[in-house]
Amino acid sequence: MTMVGDSIARSDAGAKVQGGAMYGVDHREVGMLHGAILRSPVAAGRIVSLDTSAAEALAGVYLVCSAADQPETMAGWVLKDQRLFATGNVRFEGEPIALVVAEDRATALAGVAAIALVIDELPGVDLETACSSEARVIHPDWQSYVPAGGEAADYPRRGNVAAEMRAEPAGVDEAFARAAQVIEDRFTTNRQYQAYLEPKAAVATYADGRYTIHTSVQHPYNVRERVAQLLGVRVSAVRVVGKTIGGGFGGKLDASVEPIAAFAAKLTGRPVKIRNTRTEDILTCPSRENAIVTMRTALDADGVMIARDVTVEMDNGAFSAEMPWLASLPLHILGAIYELAGPTRVISRLWYTNTAPTGAFRGVGGTYLYMALEQHTDHIANTLLVDRLQFRRAHLIHDGSASLSGQVLGDAGILAEGYDELERVAPWQQVLADLKPWQGVGIASGVWMTNPMPGQATVKMNEDGTVHVITGATENGSGALTMGVTQIVAHELGVNAANVYVTMPDTDVSGYDAGSQGSRTTHIVGRAALDAAIEVKRQLFDVAANLLEADPADLTIVDGRVSVVGSPAVSIDIADVANAALWTVGAVAATSSYTSPAIPFDAGCGSGVLFTTMSTPTYHVHMAVVEIDPVTGRVKIVRYVVIQEVGRAINPVGVRGQIQGAVTQGIGLALYESLRIGADCRYLERSLEAYRLPLALDIPEVEIVLMEHPDTNGPFGAKGVAEPAVVFAPAAIINAVSHALGRSITALPVTPEEVLSIIEEIEGEA
Amino acid sequence: MDFRSLRSLDEVLAALAELGDAACVLAGGTDVMVQLGRGEIAPQTLVHIEHVGELSAISCNGHVRLGATATHSSIAESPAILNSYGSLAAAAASVGGWQTQSVGTIGGNIANASPAADLLPPLLVHGAVVSLSSASGSRTLSIDQLLTGRRSTACAADELIVAVDLEPVGARTADAFVKVGRRSAMEVSIVALAVRLTLDETMTTVTDARIALASCGPMAFRATEAEAALIGTTLDDDALRAAGAALGNRAQLIDDVRATAAYRRRLIPRVLGKAVAECRQTIVNRSESQT
Amino acid sequence: MMSVSLNINGRDRSVNVDGADTLLDVLREQVGLLGTKEGCVEGECGACTVLIDGAPVDSCIYAAAAAGGRQVTTIEGLARPGDYSPIQQAFIDGGGVQCGFCTPGFIVTLTALLRRNPDPSRDEINNALSGNICRCTGYSQIIEAALLVAAAATSTPTPAGAVAQ
Repeated sequence: MTMVGDSIARSDAGAKVQGGAMYGVDHREVGMLHGAILRSPVAAGRIVSLDTSAAEALAGVYLVCSAADQPETMAGWVLKDQRLFATGNVRFEGEPIALVVAEDRATALAGVAAIALVIDELPGVDLETACSSEARVIHPDWQSYVPAGGEAADYPRRGNVAAEMRAEPAGVDEAFARAAQVIEDRFTTNRQYQAYLEPKAAVATYADGRYTIHTSVQHPYNVRERVAQLLGVRVSAVRVVGKTIGGGFGGKLDASVEPIAAFAAKLTGRPVKIRNTRTEDILTCPSRENAIVTMRTALDADGVMIARDVTVEMDNGAFSAEMPWLASLPLHILGAIYELAGPTRVISRLWYTNTAPTGAFRGVGGTYLYMALEQHTDHIANTLLVDRLQFRRAHLIHDGSASLSGQVLGDAGILAEGYDELERVAPWQQVLADLKPWQGVGIASGVWMTNPMPGQATVKMNEDGTVHVITGATENGSGALTMGVTQIVAHELGVNAANVYVTMPDTDVSGYDAGSQGSRTTHIVGRAALDAAIEVKRQLFDVAANLLEADPADLTIVDGRVSVVGSPAVSIDIADVANAALWTVGAVAATSSYTSPAIPFDAGCGSGVLFTTMSTPTYHVHMAVVEIDPVTGRVKIVRYVVIQEVGRAINPVGVRGQIQGAVTQGIGLALYESLRIGADCRYLERSLEAYRLPLALDIPEVEIVLMEHPDTNGPFGAKGVAEPAVVFAPAAIINAVSHALGRSITALPVTPEEVLSIIEEIEGEA
Repeated sequence: MDFRSLRSLDEVLAALAELGDAACVLAGGTDVMVQLGRGEIAPQTLVHIEHVGELSAISCNGHVRLGATATHSSIAESPAILNSYGSLAAAAASVGGWQTQSVGTIGGNIANASPAADLLPPLLVHGAVVSLSSASGSRTLSIDQLLTGRRSTACAADELIVAVDLEPVGARTADAFVKVGRRSAMEVSIVALAVRLTLDETMTTVTDARIALASCGPMAFRATEAEAALIGTTLDDDALRAAGAALGNRAQLIDDVRATAAYRRRLIPRVLGKAVAECRQTIVNRSESQT
Repeated sequence: MMSVSLNINGRDRSVNVDGADTLLDVLREQVGLLGTKEGCVEGECGACTVLIDGAPVDSCIYAAAAAGGRQVTTIEGLARPGDYSPIQQAFIDGGGVQCGFCTPGFIVTLTALLRRNPDPSRDEINNALSGNICRCTGYSQIIEAALLVAAAATSTPTPAGAVAQ
C-alpha cells in the first residue's frame, strides 16, 4: 500500500524514460500546416512598410497575415495593452509582426525571410533610461488601456510607470534625520531565462466556430482567456488541451504562440502548428525581471535599526503580463525576516521598456529581493562588528509578528527553529573555523508563500476499482500531480497509487485551475482532490453499508477493499461497490474546489497593493560555503544546506528533487545565468551557448533538512514546496562570496570578472 | 545540398579537385552542421570523410602522428598523447561535451580555425606540422604557417588536412593547458593557454619555453616575446611578470558575449603563472619518480 | 535528395534526405521516433543525444546522411517494448525524472557510459554528462540513478556453479 509520506515513483516516469511521453512540440494533426513568425528585429520603431507579396508567391505558402488582418481587440493578463501582431509600432525585439503558414516548416521560414519589412528605428528605452530621465513614453495610449478585471480594477500607473506600489508609514524621514549612521546599498539584478528544455509550441484547429489548441502550458485557463481576448471571442469558444510539459518554471503561464496558431487555423481552415526556435524562445519568454533595489537603514547610536527605506525599480518590458501584480512583492519580503525598531518605507515601480515583457520565474522577485536584504543585513552586522548569525537571530520575527501589510504571521517562530536545525547540521563556529583560504560562508533566511488561487478536482471511481482524478491542473514536471495529488487520493481512498490516474488538463472537461505556479498544486489541488475523495468515500460507504449490512460509520478501506472496522473478514472489493453503485444510486464521483482562505491585512498599509498577503507561509534557512579560484575569479559551491518547512512531505524523493532543482536554478542566477540587455535594448545572450545553464559538474549535492509543521488547511498538512529553495539560494551564495572577499557584492549574477577585479584590488592594497 | 560519403583518401581528393570551392569537407560535423543551421555557409556539396579509415589513426612510430579524423575522444584517451602531450589531451577533453568529443576531429578543429579553437594552443607549443594533400600532390606546413587569420587557413579548396605530426618531447620537458570558461565544461574559452617548458639539468633554469594562446586575438598564436622573457630565467617573479606583460602585449583582446577584454587582460598573466607552475611541478615530479 | 539506408534500433530503414538534413529531423519527421528531443539545435543541451555505433552524438548537429550504414540507437531502442533497461528503471526508482524532456538524452548518454565503464565514479558520471543539460532536477538524482546501476552491476551475485573453488 502506498501512502502519504512514501517515496513512490511518479506515475509518468515510465513513458518519460522510454521516450514515449508526448509533449506540446510532439503533437501533430492530420493535414497540419506549419507557421513561422516574422518578429521585430529591433527593439523600437515605426513600421514604415510591410510587403508580403514575395512570401505569398512562394509555392507551398497558404497564408500570410499581420496586423492588418487582426481583430480590433486588446488583451492582457492584468492590463489589456496587447494585440496579436505589432500595430504601427514595434516595442521589443521579437514582437510578432506577421505570420507565414505553409505546407512545411522550411517553406514557412523561407516565406518569413521573403517578407520585406522597413522599420524606422527609434532609440530603445531600457530600465535605467526609463527611471532616470524623461524617456519617450512607450505607450502614448496608456490611459486608454483597461485592466483585465475592468475599470474598477485599475491601479496606480502613469506613462512609462506600468504599476506603482507605495507603502509609506509615518516616521521614516524623522528616523533617518536622527540616525547616528545610515547603511546604504544599491543592488542590481539581470534577467533570468526559464530555459525549460522544451521550446514553446502549439497546434491549433478550428471547427464549428471553436478553437482547439494542443499545447504544453502551465495555466491552460489563462491561455484560454488570452486567446479569447486576442481573437475577440468568448472564452468558451476556446478549448485548451494540455500535453506533457517540457519544463515551464513560470515561463509557460501565459499564451505565446497559441493565439497566433489559433488565428491561422481559422483563416486557413487547417490545423496549424507553430513552434519557437530556441532563439525565438529566448527573445520572447517572460523572463525573471531585471531590477534595481536601493536599500537604506537608519541606525541609532546603539546600533538599533530605527527605520528602513527601500525603493525597487522593476523592468516590465514592453507589455504588462503578470508583473503589475508582482510589484507588490517587495512590501511582503521586506518585512518578512527581521524586526526593526521603527518603520519601513517601500516603494516599488514597474517600468515599461523596449524589451521583452517580463514575468514569473519560480520564486519571482523574491530571489533578488532576499539577496538585497540579506547582503544589506550582512553589511549592517559587519558595520556593527556583530557576528552575522548572531545579528540575524537577535532580530528574527517570531510567532505573531506582523508583516508590512499587517498580516499576522502566527507561526513565524519556525524561522528560529530553522536556525536551530542549521546549528545542528552545521555548527556555525565550526563552519567558520573550517573555512580554507578563499572560502566564505553565507546565510539567508525568510518567509515564502503558497499561491492561494482556486483549483478544482473531480474524483471518479471506475467500475474496476481504479480512480480517475480529472483536473485542469498541470503536471509541469514537479510531481505535484503524478506524486502529490496521486498519493493524496490513493491514501484517502485506500487504493494503490498505481490505480489512480490523473488526467491531462482540458478546459472543455476539467474544472478551473489557476495553473502550476507558486508551489500551489499539491496544496490547493491536493486539497480539492482530497475533499472530493472524502465525498467519494462517503458514497462508497453508503453503498457498501447496504451490501455488508453495516453502519457506514464503521467502514474503512484497506488495500482496495471496504471492510468493517474490527471485522476485517467482513469486506468487499471497492470494484464491486462501485459497480453496485452504478446500477443503483449512480456512478461514484465527486467534484470539489478549494482556494486558500482570505487573510486579514491592513488596508491602509499602502497604495497599489495588488496582492496583499502571503498565503500559507513557509520558513527557510539556507547556508552556502563557496570557494573562489584566485586565478580566474570563478566561484565554486563547496557546501549547500537547506532547512525547509514543508508542512508535510507527501513524497520525500519528490520534495528532495524540488529542493535540489530549485537550488540549482538559484546557483544559476547567482553565478552563471544572465540575460543581459544591450545598448540597443536587444538581448546579448541569444542561444544556449551564450546563456549558461549550470551543468552537473557545477552543482553540489544539497544537504536538506525538512521541518514539518502540518498546515491545517493543506491536504495531510502539505504546504508549497517547489519554489522556496530558489528564493534564498542567490542570497546565501552572494553572502558567501562577499564573506570570502571581504567586500560587498551588489549585482546578480556575480561574475568571475567582478570577482577577479575585486581580487586584484585586494592584491593592490596588500 | 549534395552529400558524398567517401571511403578512401583518393576519392576525397578527387572530389575536392572536381568541386573546389563548392565543396565543404564534413567529418564529425560539430562545427559545419552548426554553421549550416545558422546559414553561415551554403556549400553545394558536403564531402563526408568520417569513414576514410586511413585518416583516423593515432600512431607513434618514433614520433606521434595524428590522422585528421582522430576524434577528440580518441585523442583524450590515447596513452601516447596522455604520456607526452598532456596539454593536447586536456584540450581535447575540453571541447564541448562527450557528444562533441565522440565525433569532432582534430582536422576539423584546425580547419575551422576558430579564434577559440581548443586544440590549437597545444598544437602550437608542440610545433605541430600539418600534412595537406590534394589530387596534385602533398605539402606540409607548420601549424602557425597554416593559420592565416580568423577562421582562415592556408589550406586550398582542393586540399585536405590529412595528418598532424608532433615534435618529440625531450627530457625535463612538460606541458600544461589552462582553459578559462564560466562553467566547469561546455565552454568556448574566454582565454585558453598552453605552455611547454624545458628546464636545464639542475631543474632550475628554463632552457626552452613555448607559450600559445587562444581567444586572445583573431586566431590562436604563439607568443615568442613572452617565451623569450622566460628562457634563461629561473621562473622568478620578475620573469613571470615580464612574460605575462609580453603575452598581454601580443594579445588583441576584444569584448564579446563571453567576457570583456579587461577580464581577459587580467587573466592572461594569472593563467600563465598557473600553467608554468604546473609544468615545473610535472618536471620535478617526473624526475623524482625516476630517482 | 538522396536515399540513405539507416539502421535504427536494429531495423534497416531507407530515408530520403537532403545532405544538410540533421539526423534529429529525420528521426522525428520521417521515421516518426519522437522520443529524441530538440532543445537547441546547436549541440549545447544534449536532449537529442543518440548512439551512433555506440558513441553518444548530438543528432541535432549530425547529418542524417553521415549515419548511412551505421547503427543508430535512440531512446526507443534501449529496451524491449514495454520493458525498461537498468538505467531507465533507476531513473524511475530514484527520482531522476521531472519534466522528462531532457531524460531521453541523459539516459542515452548514461547507457553509453555504463557500457564502456560499468562502475563509474561520481566524477566520471559528471564528466560524461557535461553535454547534457537538465533544468529540473539539479542532477543529483540522475547521478544517483547511474550509481545505482553501477552498484547493482558490480554486486551481481556470483553464479552458483562458481562458488567455493
